[in-house]
Amino acid sequence: MDAYANFINGTITLFSDPMGILIFFGGVVGGMLFGAIPGVSMLTLAAILLPFTAHLSAEHGIMLFSVIYCTGVYGGAITAILFNIPGAPENAPTAFDGYAMTKNGEAGRAVGAAVMCSAIGGTVAAVIMMLATAPIANWAISAFGPPEIFALVFFGLAVAATVGAKTLWKGWLSILVGLLIAVVGMDPVGGIERYDFNMPYLLAGIHFIPTILGFFAVSEIFIQAEKKATGSFKAPKISVDFPSLAELLAHKVAVIRSIVIGFFCGVLPGIGATLAAFMGYNEAVRWSKDKSQFGKGKLEGVISSETANNAATGAAMIPLLALGLPGGALTAMMVGVFQMHDMEPGPLVFLNSPDLVWVVFAAMFFANLSILLVGYLETKTIINLLRIPFQFLAPLILLLATVGAYAVRGLVIDVLVMFIAGAAGFFLRRSGYSLAGIVLGLILGKIGEQTFAQAMQMLHFEWLGFLDRPIASVLIAAAFLTILSSIYSAFFKKHAQ
Amino acid sequence: MGKLRPVHFFEAAFWLLLSSFLYIESFDFDRSIEIYKFGATAWPRTLILLMALAALGQLLFQYYAGDRPTGSLGAATDDGAQEAARKAGHSSVSWYASTFLLLAIPFLYMRAPDLVGLATTLDKQGVHLVKGITAPILLVAYLVLMRGNHVGAILALPIFFAALLEDMGFYAMAPLFIIGVTLLMGERRLQWIALTIALIMGVLLLMFVSLLYVGLPTGNLSPFYEFSNQLIILLQ
Repeated sequence: MDAYANFINGTITLFSDPMGILIFFGGVVGGMLFGAIPGVSMLTLAAILLPFTAHLSAEHGIMLFSVIYCTGVYGGAITAILFNIPGAPENAPTAFDGYAMTKNGEAGRAVGAAVMCSAIGGTVAAVIMMLATAPIANWAISAFGPPEIFALVFFGLAVAATVGAKTLWKGWLSILVGLLIAVVGMDPVGGIERYDFNMPYLLAGIHFIPTILGFFAVSEIFIQAEKKATGSFKAPKISVDFPSLAELLAHKVAVIRSIVIGFFCGVLPGIGATLAAFMGYNEAVRWSKDKSQFGKGKLEGVISSETANNAATGAAMIPLLALGLPGGALTAMMVGVFQMHDMEPGPLVFLNSPDLVWVVFAAMFFANLSILLVGYLETKTIINLLRIPFQFLAPLILLLATVGAYAVRGLVIDVLVMFIAGAAGFFLRRSGYSLAGIVLGLILGKIGEQTFAQAMQMLHFEWLGFLDRPIASVLIAAAFLTILSSIYSAFFKKHAQ
Repeated sequence: MGKLRPVHFFEAAFWLLLSSFLYIESFDFDRSIEIYKFGATAWPRTLILLMALAALGQLLFQYYAGDRPTGSLGAATDDGAQEAARKAGHSSVSWYASTFLLLAIPFLYMRAPDLVGLATTLDKQGVHLVKGITAPILLVAYLVLMRGNHVGAILALPIFFAALLEDMGFYAMAPLFIIGVTLLMGERRLQWIALTIALIMGVLLLMFVSLLYVGLPTGNLSPFYEFSNQLIILLQ
């Protein structure tokens, strides 16, 4: 009942303040719009807005970012489906089937499923988040130390290696490239510079926003340009026939499974929505009777990843607010908002600023709910972007990406890094490597190394110490099982192709 | 040889050379950390070893299975990019050579003052002069090389644009960039190109400069710097 009363109070506080309402709707529309415009993402918007949150109250600043997070994760699905450009890494699995559906002339069905499932996944997760924050936070604090987090990162990477690339080996090579990019800069234990080649820019590491923009937005333009130059470019067919409710109800098991997966992955610090989406998709394939249809435009593929990534948004707020650990890029920016207001996210926030916490929770609940209405209306407009000939859309995307990369830190070299990543992504993609895998490796690399170092120090450099910790040992065993079974499957199982 | 093709050896060689390069470079930071006995190199070297193993694993797999994807998820990644490249002959050595020459142009522009600096000392004005002279020369080289390799030219154009941003600024370069991209994409109708420039620049400048006050690169060479600042004053 406490949670219910707090939620009502949070809702009243949110909607009784005109400024709060303005920021809420600005965040809803802005998140969706930036998520859905190819070449930019919710991270671009968040990066642009970050300095301006200093002029807002902490409550409004955090609320704005949490709303952008919910609607931006949904918005990123639109570009993944329509242009094969995931707005964020967590939308990458959505593109597998979503873009195939667009090519089959079923863009409307895919987008409709993303609207419905993002709203369902996000709203259910927001409710669970409100009910379970305290117990989950307490459990995570006691059960998840560095060995468990490292084991989870390892497991996540083992799962991700099996999806996205043409072969398992290319999947692993992609992830290793990402992990090695994350090595550039200071080492997390001793602060020793690595692979900086005497360039001051590289001391801080390669920023993930220009890299993501390059790998996803820019390389896509290059690939489409090559198809256009060779005459194999086919403009996507447009349709706005949303799936029926009965069609979605037929996939209720996939929705529930993805909510559970999304919430579980999202609640763990450092993992966030990306792993949730990959695992949601992977499990959908694993449990499907007709695996061969995945990747060719199967609605269940979109449903699984979109439900899971939005379910993870609600859960990702728990480690951020309860432990002060960001689960991904946007939650990391939220830490910046807290710091600009001389606050530190963590258990003290619950004690000192309960109003802030519950306004944010209420805002996230209503933001996810609003995806249903605003998302439906906005998508009908955005889908018309497909009618613009590609030669006019391409410079717009490239210049938006330029502004996005530059706005992060005001460095031209970030723009250069983005375009170099785009060219590298072009060559890697046409050789069957996974750009999503590279980005996942890049994001999880730092936390993986840091938690590994902390774990080894905790375990007095005894490798077998991992086995004394049940959660860590189960996760590591699951990771090895995934690796071995995928190698066995690659060599010994017969495939349709 | 099994099902191996030369491209498979090339791919494996690339990853093994990259692994070797990174391994050798890791000696630069091979220092001990008092509280962490594995030091700063253990993590990257493990990744490098795994990269080499994955490259060899891939070669072994290709020996047995050629280019077959592993599983339905592997097949799901096929977005027609490889097929488009194969059909257009964009996998030949000459195409790669011409593309890498095009890609080298922006880097030559950026390093030109350093190269000239080997022979003589350059002050700030000297650097600007070298860049001012190099830019049109390299532009001509770009136009010559792009004939017959439009895809390579599209890959190099944004990098060239980024290289010019620092000196010539976003405001002056973006319209030229739009012209370049639309022309390379096959658009020849001048009125449509002009409309695209007007719309894209209008939206970007209104949204980011007038509304959000995002400071885009103004450049540092005259007259680009003055032009950018005049435009910003007008917009804000």
